[in-house]
Amino acid sequence: MSSPLLGEFLRSRGVTRRGFLQFCTATASLMGVSSTLVPRIAAALEQARRPSVIWLPFQECTGCTESITRAHGSTIESLIFQAISLDYQHTLQAAAGAAAERARESAMKDNWGRYLLIVDGSIPTGNPGFSTIAGRDNLSLLEEAARGAAAIIALGSCAAFGGIPGASPNPTGAVPVSDIVKGKPIINISGCPPIPVVITGVLTQYLTFGKLPELDALGRPKSFYGQTIHDRCYRRPFYERGQFADSFDDEGARLGWCLYKLGCKGPTTHNACATVKWNGGTSFPIEAGHGCIGCSEPDFWDKGGFYRPLSTGNWGSARTVGTAIGVGAALGVASAALARKRQKDAEGA
Amino acid sequence: MTPTTPTTREPDPIELDKPRVSIRKPEHRFDTQGEMPDGERVERAMKSFVRDFGRTAAVYMESCIHCGMCAEACHFYEVTKDPKYTPIWKLEPFKQAYKREYGPFAAVYRALNLKPKVTVERLQEWQHLIYDSCTVCGRCSLMCPMGIDIASLVSQARRGMFNAGLVPHELWAVSERARREGSPLGATPKVFRDRLEWLADDHEIEIPLDKPAADVLCTMSSIEIMKYPDSVVATARIMRHVGADWTFRLDGYEATNFGLLSGNTAGQKELTMKLIDAAVACGAKVLILPECGHAYTALRWMGANVYGKPLPFRVLHIAEFLAEQARAGKLRLRKLGKSATFHDPCQVVRRGGAIEAPREVLQALGVELHEMYPTKGTNWCCGGGGGVVAIHRADELRHKVFKIKMEQIEATGAELPVTTCANCRQTFDDGQAHFKWDKTMHSLLELVADNLVEGKQ
Amino acid sequence: MSLLDFARGPALQWSIVIFLVGVLWRLLGVLLLRTRKDLSEPRKAAAWKGLRLIALRSWPRKEFLGGTAFGEVMGYTFHLGFLLALFCFVPHVLFFADVARGLLGTDLSSLLGFGWPTLPNSIVTLLSAISIAALVAVLIHRLVSPVKRLISNFDDYFSWLVTTAPLVTGMAAFAHLGGWPYERLLAVHILSAELLLAWFPFGKLMHAFTIFVARGSTGMIFERKGASL
Repeated sequence: MSSPLLGEFLRSRGVTRRGFLQFCTATASLMGVSSTLVPRIAAALEQARRPSVIWLPFQECTGCTESITRAHGSTIESLIFQAISLDYQHTLQAAAGAAAERARESAMKDNWGRYLLIVDGSIPTGNPGFSTIAGRDNLSLLEEAARGAAAIIALGSCAAFGGIPGASPNPTGAVPVSDIVKGKPIINISGCPPIPVVITGVLTQYLTFGKLPELDALGRPKSFYGQTIHDRCYRRPFYERGQFADSFDDEGARLGWCLYKLGCKGPTTHNACATVKWNGGTSFPIEAGHGCIGCSEPDFWDKGGFYRPLSTGNWGSARTVGTAIGVGAALGVASAALARKRQKDAEGA
Repeated sequence: MTPTTPTTREPDPIELDKPRVSIRKPEHRFDTQGEMPDGERVERAMKSFVRDFGRTAAVYMESCIHCGMCAEACHFYEVTKDPKYTPIWKLEPFKQAYKREYGPFAAVYRALNLKPKVTVERLQEWQHLIYDSCTVCGRCSLMCPMGIDIASLVSQARRGMFNAGLVPHELWAVSERARREGSPLGATPKVFRDRLEWLADDHEIEIPLDKPAADVLCTMSSIEIMKYPDSVVATARIMRHVGADWTFRLDGYEATNFGLLSGNTAGQKELTMKLIDAAVACGAKVLILPECGHAYTALRWMGANVYGKPLPFRVLHIAEFLAEQARAGKLRLRKLGKSATFHDPCQVVRRGGAIEAPREVLQALGVELHEMYPTKGTNWCCGGGGGVVAIHRADELRHKVFKIKMEQIEATGAELPVTTCANCRQTFDDGQAHFKWDKTMHSLLELVADNLVEGKQ
Repeated sequence: MSLLDFARGPALQWSIVIFLVGVLWRLLGVLLLRTRKDLSEPRKAAAWKGLRLIALRSWPRKEFLGGTAFGEVMGYTFHLGFLLALFCFVPHVLFFADVARGLLGTDLSSLLGFGWPTLPNSIVTLLSAISIAALVAVLIHRLVSPVKRLISNFDDYFSWLVTTAPLVTGMAAFAHLGGWPYERLLAVHILSAELLLAWFPFGKLMHAFTIFVARGSTGMIFERKGASL
């Protein structure tokens, strides 16, 4: 299936030296790495061994795969997938059934301790039967595969944080990879789905430097998740000036004003959408006129609603307010009655 | 509170002049009445506070934001810059008691001991603040941004102190004397009657006494009866001039109320009821209060509440009566071609509402009025009201306060300082003597009486 | 549950409950105490006119202004700045609009007939900074002035803290201070506001309500006597 070294392999596929260096430069800038390191990235990638990658799909929608394989006019991202030996991936592989499982088992055995494990989808803990592959439950599959992995990439918000299956009331008991796997390096590449260049950038970084990129408190690569959408949003000046769209087709919306009032979660969402954008840099939700839904953050489904502004919270309800007023009034009446009684007693005394 | 009955062996507490100065902390000297144990004193004070608290006082207790601006309005703070004279600080044990015993969170305060129980030491320490350094003038009430009537709270606090037997001795003594003899200064009914006789003789004027029926019941203050008897004559002259059907009555003539000043509610009621009963007995339509400050507060504003129902007669301060007569054209006066300035007695003007009446009278007298600054509602207190002039350990403090009045009056350049309260007048006389000042305070009543144009037109 | 989720969830609900229970308890516990009708003959019949004291007492008489001007000016400065920042900053307005919608069942703007006015973020920032400066000034005054030092207690200092904290943390969050995680800064800000809410009924902050009752009571009592207001 492959030539052992990436440089050779790319040349065999007709990738020019110039094209290759362009990719390395672009990746360097995406990763926030100095351009002086471009030669090092190029040299490393040239000599990189094509590592084995096992991709386990659990409770997922295949959206992450869809995203990553969208190589609109940019063959470089898709080529990186040639730079790895993707030994098991349901959507992309030719084999099926027992043959596919055998391929996985042999790849794992041959590369035990060195393969990269990519997981997308959450893991059900409620009942092992909720999600299986070839009759085997996700949980035991993950535990086994993780034991032999050099590192694990939890791809997408489901694998990173529990995602949609984990949304209230979480009927399957869905949990993220980090809840199951301990003691192994895990990179959370969150997003629903993540941006294509984020995955390739992380992979490139891993291949180049042989270690995990710097991660934030939630295990996400800082180079892509270090800033919020708000920090890089092109509509920020409107936020600052207080010019907001009040509804989706009003004057403000048409003028491209800030979408804070329409529920944009940009200020608390860490991702690269505002800089890297989607569909090969075409646009991103805010540019298209819809607020950020915060899909790269944990529990984004349960943050109160996509269209409720960030500054609103779960303040309660008319019922809780009414009850509180009632209780307060009752206590007030009681304390006044008590005081009056003490007064009467003092007068009688 | 029952005083010790004088026997041949035990001297009467009123007369007792035992040494009261403590060597270690002379400024913390406090007086006590009665022999009860400390715990009982506190209990009585607390019970009194609880009895007294009502919604208005409670609102005030809840509202203080500790801004300290009331200090800026208080003459005692003004002349000493001692923060302990901050008006609301005078209420501190009172506030403590309120929060612990009566407020909405009282049960929580007690359960968690968030505000400790008021101790007898604290009450003793506070005696000086509540009595010596407060004339209940109400300037602080006018300043407070929250609208707290601090002065009224001091009056209420005094009731607790009285019940605890923690009133300054002289104030208690005169109050006790008033209760027993009918006058704090020895103007007993016999003395009053005798005075009326020789005043009537000396000045050749009829002074009706104990008429069974009259339209107008006049009253006097003991200060006037004993120290300024010309005021008694002046009253008679004016009543004759306007042709009033009036009388004094021996069963109700003393307008001062040391029960109010010391915090003796029962005593206050006794003194008030004497006046009311006398007016009712003679069917008076109007009861005239003399040149006195707290007498006005005691009867005009508190009388009906003590009585339990609206008073069946009008209550007028003599200055108000004079203003009415002037308006009705019944006062024929010689014009005084002099300049004058008016010292506003706190209880009559700021607290009592008779702001313009004295000025109407002065206008009728044809004086050139130079208002002092500040004046009317914001005028400075003379420093002797609220019983302070009776408390001799407070003399030094009171004299410091008096300097403010001297400066105010000097600044007007007026020839005649005039007021309409005998206690203010007494304070001014004392201050004048102390500082050897050249200006004498005049009584509005006497000025009018001295300048009546008698005889047919 | 992250700190921000806690701040926007249970902490928010409980602080609102504590606020409402406490305020009602304290207000009614005082307003329902015994009152005695004043039987004296009033000098002026319309005692209700004394309610104008509520407005009048908002500024001292000029005779008293000497020693009080500083406190008055600083007090108004921080109150105004605080209230404008609280009620005219867009994210705050959205919060209140959401609450109003939940309580009234309809948008407040449709009831009022006009949209709630908002201020540009730069103005709110400026006002917040000025408010904090004024608050610091009054704290210093409280520590330095002999009168205030004597009469001040825990309530005064703690109430100062819970009032200043939301302004400071709000500015910090808005400015993404120190590059710290925005969610944490925002959570701390929201929690500080909740602390203010929870403390409100128990300390001097209640003056926001009692000021009307105290000034109104005194106004009416004094008005019927014709006494100086």
